[in-house]
Amino acid sequence: RWTGERVGRGSLRGSSGKAATSPAENYHLARRRTLQVVVSALLTECGFESAEKAAVETLTEMMQSYITEIGRCAKAYCEHTARSVPTLADTVVTLIEMGFNADTLPVYAKRSQRMVITAPPVTNAPVTPKALSAGQKRTHPAYIPSHFPEFPDPHTYIKTPTFREPVSDYQVVREKAASQKRDVERALTRFMAKTGETQSLFKDDITAFPLIAAQPSSIPYLSALLPSELELQTLEETDSSEQDDQTDSENDDPGGDKENSMLPPSGVPSAKASEENVIDNPYLRPVKKPKVRRKK
Amino acid sequence: MLCYYDIQIVRRNLGYVELTIFPTVVNLNRIKLNSKQCRIYRVRVNELEAPFIYNDPTLEVCHHESKQRNLNYFSSAYTAAVSAVDPDAGHGELVIKVPPELWKQGDDLKVLKVYIEFSLDQPKGGLHFVVPDVEGSMAERGAHVFSFGYQNSTRFWFPCVDSYSELCTWKLEFTVDASMVAVSCGDLVETIYTHDMRKKTYHYVLPIPTAAPNISLAVGPFEILVDPYMHEVTHFCLPQLLPLLKHSMSYLHEIFEFYEEILTCRYPYSCFKTVFVDEAYVQLSSYASMSIFSTNLLHSATIIDQTPLTRRCLAQALAQQFFGCFISRMSWADEWVLKGISGYIYGLYLKKTFGVNEYRHWIKEELDKIVEYELKMGGVLLHPTFTGGKEKDNPTPHLHFSIKHPHTLSWEYFKMFQCKAHLVMRLIENRISMEFMLQVFNKLLSLASTASSQKYQSHMWSQMLLSTHAFLKSISNVSGKDIGPLIKQWVDQSSVVKFFGSFAFNRKRNVLELEIRQDYTSSGTQKYVGPIKVTVQELDGSFNHTLQIEENSLKHDIPCHSKSRRNKKKKIPLMNGEEVDMDLSAMDADSPLLWIRIDPDMSILRKVEFEQADFMWQYQLRYERDVVAQEEAISALEKFPTPASRLALTDILEQEQCFYKVRMQACFCLAKIANSMVSTWQGPPAMKSLFTRMFCCKSCPNIVKTNNFISFQSYFLQKTMPVAMALLRDVHNLCPKDVLNFILDLIKYNDNRKNKFSDNYYRADLIEALTNSLTPAISISNEVRTVDNLNADVRLILEEITRFLNMEKLLPSFRNTITVRCLSAIRQLQRNGHIPSDASLFKSYAEYGHFVDVRVAALEALVDYTRVERSSAELQWLLNMVQNDPAHYVRHKILGMLSKNPPFTKTTDSALCNEALVDQLWKLMNSGTSHDWRLRCDAVNLYYTLFGLTRPSCLPLPELGLVLNLKEKKAVLNPTIKPELEVGPEPDPISLGVCGVGQPPQGLKRKAETPLGSPPEPGQVLQQQDDDARGGHFKIRFNTMEDEDIDMETVHDSQAFIHQHLHLLERPSTPGKEPPSVEQSLLSMPATPVPSFSKETSSLASKHAGEHGHHHHHHHHEHKKKKKKHKHKHKHKHKHESKDKEKDRERDNSHAYSNSPASGRSLRSPSMSD
Repeated sequence: RWTGERVGRGSLRGSSGKAATSPAENYHLARRRTLQVVVSALLTECGFESAEKAAVETLTEMMQSYITEIGRCAKAYCEHTARSVPTLADTVVTLIEMGFNADTLPVYAKRSQRMVITAPPVTNAPVTPKALSAGQKRTHPAYIPSHFPEFPDPHTYIKTPTFREPVSDYQVVREKAASQKRDVERALTRFMAKTGETQSLFKDDITAFPLIAAQPSSIPYLSALLPSELELQTLEETDSSEQDDQTDSENDDPGGDKENSMLPPSGVPSAKASEENVIDNPYLRPVKKPKVRRKK
Repeated sequence: MLCYYDIQIVRRNLGYVELTIFPTVVNLNRIKLNSKQCRIYRVRVNELEAPFIYNDPTLEVCHHESKQRNLNYFSSAYTAAVSAVDPDAGHGELVIKVPPELWKQGDDLKVLKVYIEFSLDQPKGGLHFVVPDVEGSMAERGAHVFSFGYQNSTRFWFPCVDSYSELCTWKLEFTVDASMVAVSCGDLVETIYTHDMRKKTYHYVLPIPTAAPNISLAVGPFEILVDPYMHEVTHFCLPQLLPLLKHSMSYLHEIFEFYEEILTCRYPYSCFKTVFVDEAYVQLSSYASMSIFSTNLLHSATIIDQTPLTRRCLAQALAQQFFGCFISRMSWADEWVLKGISGYIYGLYLKKTFGVNEYRHWIKEELDKIVEYELKMGGVLLHPTFTGGKEKDNPTPHLHFSIKHPHTLSWEYFKMFQCKAHLVMRLIENRISMEFMLQVFNKLLSLASTASSQKYQSHMWSQMLLSTHAFLKSISNVSGKDIGPLIKQWVDQSSVVKFFGSFAFNRKRNVLELEIRQDYTSSGTQKYVGPIKVTVQELDGSFNHTLQIEENSLKHDIPCHSKSRRNKKKKIPLMNGEEVDMDLSAMDADSPLLWIRIDPDMSILRKVEFEQADFMWQYQLRYERDVVAQEEAISALEKFPTPASRLALTDILEQEQCFYKVRMQACFCLAKIANSMVSTWQGPPAMKSLFTRMFCCKSCPNIVKTNNFISFQSYFLQKTMPVAMALLRDVHNLCPKDVLNFILDLIKYNDNRKNKFSDNYYRADLIEALTNSLTPAISISNEVRTVDNLNADVRLILEEITRFLNMEKLLPSFRNTITVRCLSAIRQLQRNGHIPSDASLFKSYAEYGHFVDVRVAALEALVDYTRVERSSAELQWLLNMVQNDPAHYVRHKILGMLSKNPPFTKTTDSALCNEALVDQLWKLMNSGTSHDWRLRCDAVNLYYTLFGLTRPSCLPLPELGLVLNLKEKKAVLNPTIKPELEVGPEPDPISLGVCGVGQPPQGLKRKAETPLGSPPEPGQVLQQQDDDARGGHFKIRFNTMEDEDIDMETVHDSQAFIHQHLHLLERPSTPGKEPPSVEQSLLSMPATPVPSFSKETSSLASKHAGEHGHHHHHHHHEHKKKKKKHKHKHKHKHKHESKDKEKDRERDNSHAYSNSPASGRSLRSPSMSD
């Protein structure tokens, strides 16, 4: 009785694809067929001798919906009261809610002219296909109640470290780095050259030594003066990694010196400075509003 | 007071100037001001409208389509034109007539206020607008404008007395868009919004008396940085560059401190501003309390090479703030003092900051430069005196330009002038000691600062102007020494000294016989008489001797202190007190001499060619501690390719205590020696093992260490060595395979990831090394260069260059150094015949919109291409760029490079040399470059390089009678009739030309542009008469232009006078492109002539048309000021009559066509109207 939900779902799926033959489909089709038999029996009971297929089908559908709704609603009532299995009372309330007089039900069930239908053939409940599983599922640790969902398949959280023996030979490393860099650069520039305009040094073979065409820019000094992001990035890296071993040599090198000495002024004195500047430097003063009398 | 009330970057600016004039003479009825390009709307003197006339003879130097094409002619005409408006001589382009109502006031020496309303439309010079072509508002686009110019060029952007010696205080107002900042001289008093709140007005006050050329302006959406150390110093840069600005300026306060300390004088202005702009005219220019720099000087902390260069620029700019801006010059002839002092204190700064080695190296470099220039081009005269101003009194006849004005100088000459000036200051220091020197400066500064706080009436301001005389007087007062001879030798006289030295050791007498000869006959040399210092390093020590160079004595005996005794093991004392062990085995056993130096302190501006044995040079290189001696030894050793020299050089290279620039120089010398010794050279290529030892990994010597440029000395050495190595050649005169592979490996393994500095300069030098390794391709009879027959090595090189150049597009390097070198590498490949010679690549990189360094590199390649391929199309292309490029620096650079690497010269024949080119260049220097003095002089230089001083050989013979050339004595060829023409030199061809009648085509074009044309109404008759008069004058022009001494001034005056009286001058259009044309100004004039004038007008007009002489007298009485000039004129006339008969004849001939003999004195007759 409480499988209504499943029936409903099954029917939906069935209507979407008739050719389905999976065990789950079979199961649902069998259910539906039983329901159809029930509808036919009820019709016979009411005195119909024959019915159009479409009418039967419609009634079946209605019936299924009705039962499904009862199931759904009863389930909702039960969950509302923090239970997991519906009780009789839930069902009764449901029926009442749906406008059905529950009191008439026992009488109806015991009516004399009812037809007895054979129980539907036992079909195996469909098994949900097993997802790909790898390794052993982990069990819950002690502090997690057992009713909590299980761990997902291990492949979703397990990682397997793979590594090769690092190449430690300095020469090979440098060689590798150099050729890698060169390959990347060459591939990149070739790509750029292929996809954009090019200039050539040879007239006979334009593809040999393609040069990316020179494009004038409207503000050429920006790209020429500002360090590229890549440079800034590497600079940051080297700064953090090499600061320790360079501190002593930094004193006699003006460039590095600058960098360090730049920090304090922008930190301590400039905080002080910014205060004074407001008063001090005419370029930081706010622009005055025009005086009306100046106009005359 | 200068007020620009609307500076819009759309290139139209309105403004007014108000000058307060204190008359110092009575009879002030005309005021002459300088103004170029400005359109002047009205002039008022003390609220009264004043008539004015505008006349700029420098717009077009030689008028009329004269067929004269020789440079002598041009130069003198140009000099005359510049003189005619020289503010130092009281002249100007703009002549304002003081309304007669005010004469009385002027006679009482009361203040006159001159108010001039003007606008500046799309100025070509004076102000430079940079407007990037991108989306957005002007501020978002980074559009900005700044003033620029060579020497006194302020007249290009507002009417003023454009002289360094005319001081006044300033009130400046600039109204700009609200998103912009206007930076100018003096203190910013306040900034006020306009009523619509869209604009704001910057009010500046400069209370220190300042000359107009020291006024500047920069407007742009600048980012503002207040110096963290000195709050009164503000820095400005273009948007997005603030981090660079912060870094680059973090050092400025130290320079300030240094100068204030040595001069014991505070910085004279109450504030200082630095502005960094794009497309700067020069790297740095100093103005009162502000400096404008090129934005390309800004750099980040990762850049090594630019850092010292930028600091040097800052130091130079600051030195000029004291001497140049605050203290200005009395006259052009005194310029050397200011340039000298600022250069000298800048040198002191170099010494303190970069060390004595760097300083001495720099002095040697500068000395070599000036010596080389003077020996090649002839002398550089620091303090020219012009007595008569006549041709034969020209103090520098060897030059193709006049040095009478800064605006006629070639740029290179001017640079050398500055260089010599500071070297001479150093010579003075040598004589009177640095202490006295600084006392003199201090005295000059304190006098000036006392004067600066006075009111004008106290007549103290002249203390702020420095003259040669005052400077010398101050020196003699402070030091009590007479430096007269020194000044006479180096300042009043041009040229340098050239010594040849040799010696012999007389064992018997134990005497060194030194012979010092001089070459004082070749160009650029002079004779030196006086003391000279000689330092002799002997076994027992170093000894200084002072010899007297006299007229006839060549030989000097110098007694030696030590006996030759090299067997005794003893340390040898050096000059600096150090004692060293030396291996004396190389020495001559009989002589105790290790090395000899002539004038070691560089206290003479000289070139010394000294002969001593190779081992002596080697000792000198190894053990003499003076970097100059070491560098001299290195260049001398080039001539001694021996294993011993090789060893000495290698030792120096390895010695870390040695100055890095010496070591760098040693690299190149070693390469040369190795090439000379190629057949006997042992071991790996020079420097290879050294480089490997210093910079490569211990474990794998073929791989260079990852970059770490913490030690700058080794960085510079690491950069230089590959460049020098690539110059090595094997027996086949090819670069050794080893070396090439080595360089390619350096490129391959270059790894900068762990470096805190950028490696762009290092990589650029590696590209240069590749370039240096190139040798000419073996060509098989004109075969076309294709990819297939590319040499394998060259293919490798080309691949690297291609990759570098392409990578630069994705990751641009600082200042695009990589692209710059790649372009020159490609040109080198082309020139050596490895790849087809082609200009299109360079053309695309030379276009506007690339970084300026890249453009210059591409242009250099193009110039070279033009020369090698003799391509007229490319030459045309370059010349077009000279005329049209927005960047002034690039235009200047192209002409400079063309002169340096000319497509042909006066001595060679070339198909390129044709009449059209002559005409084009002539036009360029005659009228095409009137907005930029420097460019005009560049054009003159190029013309000189290509065609020489005389008429270009490719031109057809001049048409007889029309064109005359005195220099070439072509007059003989003209046997035409000579109608007697007795005309004084009075009518000025130049002002006549400007009158607008019979203008050459250019004039017509200008006319078309004038908006002032309206139907003739009021003074039609007048105009007619005036035309006639001018027609007459126009003919006379031929006369005056022939001879070199045109008295512009007089003529100019008279013209001005006439015009004023004709009252034609209500509103002449004055901007550069529209020289006033009389008809137009006349027509545009509202018909409201002052009644009292109209009478005079007609009478004068008739007078003018008829009686020439009378006219003269009229002037005579009228203007006192002119008296002098008239005298001059008469004298001039006399000269003509007496001396230059032939000249007269020619002159007359020139009129044969235009002037029918029958008409006699028809010159001034109306029928002669054009």
